[in-house]
Amino acid sequence: MNVICKRSIPALLMLLLPLSLFSATPVVEIEIKDHLFLPSEIVIPADTKIKLLIKNLDPTPEEFESYELNREKVIGGNSKTVIFIGPLPPGEYPFFGEFYPKTAQGKIIVQ
Amino acid sequence: MLLSSVILVLQETLEVALLVSMLAAVSHRLNYSMSWLPWGLCGGFVIAVLYAVNMGSIAVWFDYVGQEVVNAFAQITIAVILVLLPWTICSDENRHSLLFQWAAVIVLVLSIGREGSEIILYLDGFLQQEGKVQAVLVGGGIGFSIGISVAILLFYGLVGLPRKLGIATPILLLALFAGNMLAQASQQLTQADWLHSTGALWDTSGLIPEDSMSGQLLYALIGYESNPSLIQIIAYLAGTTLLLLVAASAKFWSTRASLQK
Repeated sequence: MNVICKRSIPALLMLLLPLSLFSATPVVEIEIKDHLFLPSEIVIPADTKIKLLIKNLDPTPEEFESYELNREKVIGGNSKTVIFIGPLPPGEYPFFGEFYPKTAQGKIIVQ
Repeated sequence: MLLSSVILVLQETLEVALLVSMLAAVSHRLNYSMSWLPWGLCGGFVIAVLYAVNMGSIAVWFDYVGQEVVNAFAQITIAVILVLLPWTICSDENRHSLLFQWAAVIVLVLSIGREGSEIILYLDGFLQQEGKVQAVLVGGGIGFSIGISVAILLFYGLVGLPRKLGIATPILLLALFAGNMLAQASQQLTQADWLHSTGALWDTSGLIPEDSMSGQLLYALIGYESNPSLIQIIAYLAGTTLLLLVAASAKFWSTRASLQK
């Protein structure tokens, strides 16, 4: 009994901790430089939640926007941010920088 | 550059401008004082500047999803206040006028604070770059003016309605607006991974693309989303239905009260 308790207490404590600490959510990094997304094409697996880590290396803010992904977020100049996407079915999901849409274009390919 | 600044500023302006015209139409119809408008606009501007200035530090909250959480909190607050708003409309007692004023001020401050901060950040980015400031300011000015014009059209459209529809129509639009706010909040919380992500239920992007003019107008007016998730739809229906229920019960009680007099 005692042994079981000792073993199960850490396990129970682990359950209380935020899932994100243990979750295997894959991280994909994107950089913004000179109002361009680098890389501009990202391939991710289908039916998987992804954590996009976006680093804006420009001094100006940008807004990550995608109608297909249903996502939008302002990213300050010289800062980074996180956007969760998925799980998604296979397909192509374009995204763009709403503040500099002429150059800041990219897409996520889910396969 | 000019065109993209027209579109960006128009997008951010439209939602707030339409909200103002719905509230103004109700206020006008009931002969309530319009003093909520200048207070809401000024308060909203102050909050927008504060939000924009502190965006850097807010963004890192909760492991880099502070922006989503703050936006969702603002949107949920707006929805809750709008849901309760019919209670201040469907009654003849004077004290409700003051409650309406306060509700309208808070809703405006939160809406302008959120949308306005994006415009400020956008413009600020261009102020750092020489040679582009003028084009962006002109573009932004055009976008802003179009947004205001659409709102004025809606206001006069609503005010010109026959008496019976004069309150019901803006209430219905406010109900859709409340649903829109809750749906947007659920989207923000999903983006932050605070809500479980569910796939899109349908896709009407072929019919009305979200980046088309009609798509943008429908987005601002009724929260059109071409590929909504189940959570967004539930949130939308919840906000809309709750407001209409409050409106119906407020109407019921005020009719009953006037019959008993």
